[in-house]
Amino acid sequence: MLLEKSLIEEIIAKSLATGADFAEVYTEDRISSGIMLIGGHVEKANSAKTFGVGLRLAQGLFSVYGYTNSKNPDDLLKLASDLSKSFSADKKTVPVKLGKIEVGTHHKVKINPRDVKQETKVALMQRAYKAAKEYDEVIQQVSVNLSDWVQNVEIANSLGRYVTEERVRIRFYVSAIAGKDGMMQTGGEGPGTAQGYEYFDTECNVEETAIKAAKTAKTMLFADECPSGVMAVILNNEFGGVIFHEACGHSLEATSVSKNASVFCGKLGTVVASPIVNAIDDGTIENGWGSANFDDEGYPQQRRVLIENGVLKTYMVDLLNTRRMDHKPTGSSRRESYKFAPTSRMSNTFIDNGTSTFEEIIKATEYGLFAAKMGGGSVNPGNGDFNFSVSEGYMVRNGKIAEPVRGASLVGNGADILFKIDMIANNLERARGMCGSASGSIPADVGQPTLRVHSITVGGKKGAK
Amino acid sequence: MNLDLLFQKAKQKGIEDVQAFLSHKNELSIEVFNGDLDKYEISDSSSLIVRGIYQGKFGTFVTEVMDDSIIDLIIDNMIANAKIIDSPDEAIIYAGDKKYEIVEGLFEEALEKKDAAEKIAAVKELDGLLHKADPRVSIAETMYSETTRTVLLQNTKGLKLYNKVNSAYLGAQVIVKDETDQRTGFDLDITNDFADFNLSELADRIVKEGIDALGAKPIASNNYEIILRRDALAILLATFQNVFSADAVQKGLSLLKGKLSETIGSELVTIVDDPFLKKSSSSRSFDDEGCATKYKELIKNGVLTTYLHNLNTAKKDGLSTTGNGFSGSVSFINMKMISGNDTMEAMLASIKDGLLITNLQGSHAGANTVSGDFSLQASGFVIKDGKIGAPVALVTVAGNFISLLKDIVAVGDDSKTSFYGVTCPSVKVKSMPVSGL
Repeated sequence: MLLEKSLIEEIIAKSLATGADFAEVYTEDRISSGIMLIGGHVEKANSAKTFGVGLRLAQGLFSVYGYTNSKNPDDLLKLASDLSKSFSADKKTVPVKLGKIEVGTHHKVKINPRDVKQETKVALMQRAYKAAKEYDEVIQQVSVNLSDWVQNVEIANSLGRYVTEERVRIRFYVSAIAGKDGMMQTGGEGPGTAQGYEYFDTECNVEETAIKAAKTAKTMLFADECPSGVMAVILNNEFGGVIFHEACGHSLEATSVSKNASVFCGKLGTVVASPIVNAIDDGTIENGWGSANFDDEGYPQQRRVLIENGVLKTYMVDLLNTRRMDHKPTGSSRRESYKFAPTSRMSNTFIDNGTSTFEEIIKATEYGLFAAKMGGGSVNPGNGDFNFSVSEGYMVRNGKIAEPVRGASLVGNGADILFKIDMIANNLERARGMCGSASGSIPADVGQPTLRVHSITVGGKKGAK
Repeated sequence: MNLDLLFQKAKQKGIEDVQAFLSHKNELSIEVFNGDLDKYEISDSSSLIVRGIYQGKFGTFVTEVMDDSIIDLIIDNMIANAKIIDSPDEAIIYAGDKKYEIVEGLFEEALEKKDAAEKIAAVKELDGLLHKADPRVSIAETMYSETTRTVLLQNTKGLKLYNKVNSAYLGAQVIVKDETDQRTGFDLDITNDFADFNLSELADRIVKEGIDALGAKPIASNNYEIILRRDALAILLATFQNVFSADAVQKGLSLLKGKLSETIGSELVTIVDDPFLKKSSSSRSFDDEGCATKYKELIKNGVLTTYLHNLNTAKKDGLSTTGNGFSGSVSFINMKMISGNDTMEAMLASIKDGLLITNLQGSHAGANTVSGDFSLQASGFVIKDGKIGAPVALVTVAGNFISLLKDIVAVGDDSKTSFYGVTCPSVKVKSMPVSGL
């Protein structure tokens, strides 16, 4: 137990004393570790203990938030009292009684990072270093990062919610640099999980991860500059899903919808995408990178079908934003840490399988770009304009994958591109990402099968065809 | 926490030297949405970074729990972390310099003392001005944020340094709409003197940015003469800041490796690090290692003169630190490109067919700091016969950082510190490939 139940009740009561109609106490304790290995040597090894309490009060649409590192009851009650000064109703006493704390147990962890020795982690990293370095003589530098954290949260609110869970995350990242004649190109792979270290015995092969990174770097070293212009683009599965995440997902979050700042406002029940598009945000996937038992307002995570056969079915809405919107809450509230007030965010977001195959899509494309691996991107939620980079690309000519190209970026508009998806394969895979937005940086999965956008602007240095 | 007790216990467990870096932060943020107070946030938080040398290697632990009960955990973790480090880097805890500059004006008590109600009133006033400025303003999110940060650095070599800074920003994002298009305008001003905020000027600037962009379209793909407006150049410079780090250079992660004393930019280009810049909350007299900071030219008239160093990278190159050791690595304090003599009007007048770039996006993904290649989403305006023309959006501009520095043919006189912490003027670039229609 991070805070005594009676103290939480007292904080909530104090928070409500001046007219707030909602109060929430979020307590977090986290132990994290990060190791960086460059050129075969461990350069940095850090660990950290994080602790803090975030307190949120609301009255109607107006909310206030405060946080502190202190565990001291006097400091916490003072924070409640300071925040409650934002409201000015007559003093009243609101009795608050919390029930038994509900413990989330859906995502099982076998080998807790707390029980793993630093030396064991280094051994995994050295294996990856060796595999990437030995992949090819053009690989000049390899860095490997391994970070993990164990976060315990307790969330309580004035409506009687009182829950706790332990959230475990591990991220492994290999970055390889290939160089020749003064030219340098990079390749990276970043698997991660919400399991324990059993992940490296089951799903994640560190050597394969390292070789993938090295292969991208080498391929891009010998790649030609990407031509620019409007063309068909085939987005590969896994991290290709970043396009949906950036271009559409953010605009379906209540953060922008509730303020009438999204291109998808007022579009529920209408066609927003090509009829072959089904999109899902699922925070319940067992040990999913973006999963949790509870969202950060303490309500169960859910599976949300966002788009079904091209029709918009739901937004992602946190409890407080339901006050601005005529929409039920969807268990979508998330935050990086106690330092952030929570808001609606994505979890594991993906476009579902279609009926084509990968081979069919390539074969059906006369000229275009195959974006085998995507980099990151960003979107302006005000109008849906987005951009993202292609970290490993190939030209497609006459139905065949042709030469590799580098330096490509894709530029378009979120609402627009959904209608331009004309083929979706059946090879859905998800990939890990860190998503930064209003409530901080949080683990989020993106995903999709390989799919084709029939026309999109490709930026590259080579100039138009 | 009793730091003397921490130092003493660490010594008993075989840790030779220890440095504690304690930072404490108070924050206030206010948001107004379409006229109503939407968010009010206060915080009080601390963190302590402890670095100790164990058997010649650094072990580090960061804690937000500050009571003495955590001292044993700190020490055990420092040792466990030091044990796995096998890089040949020497671990150094610094005894201090003879002299540290006094940087004035970093903390203004008046800002902290100003009543929260007055700050809320100013945000509401700005919000009102935004809505009043143009009927096409449909949504405004107006924000104010204020931070006070104190830093205490203390080590077993007897060094004790203290720094206190406060700063605030006020700004907004607006969405403007007409019958056919929707655009955003965003800007903010940063200072620690509340009197610096000019609400009506700020409101006009933000709304103008959105309104001017209404109807923006891609232009035909081609090579264009380019003016990078100061805020767009700041984004690009901020993205490539790390290439000046000796740490990145020594690890082979910088495109500036092996380029010392070489010409890497046009002779109009001089880039400095100015730790004593007025009204910058980053300004300071010592770095995280306790070394005195100094003003230095990184690129002088196009020639690369030095990298940024911390104790370790300097030792490897046989040099002295430049006082840029931050967060265990090396970074700029205040990156600044020295302004030139050209006015924006003169630069525009020299271009027949070109592009004025006012914003760049995607710098975290579309720019490669190892190769220097970038391909970024750009927006701005057509330049036609020396005048600003139609708004442009959804194009990409591609290039290479060094080629760009070399292709700068004019440097503006309009230097300003941007949101990204980089101070620079607008520049004219000979030619860049733009991909659009």
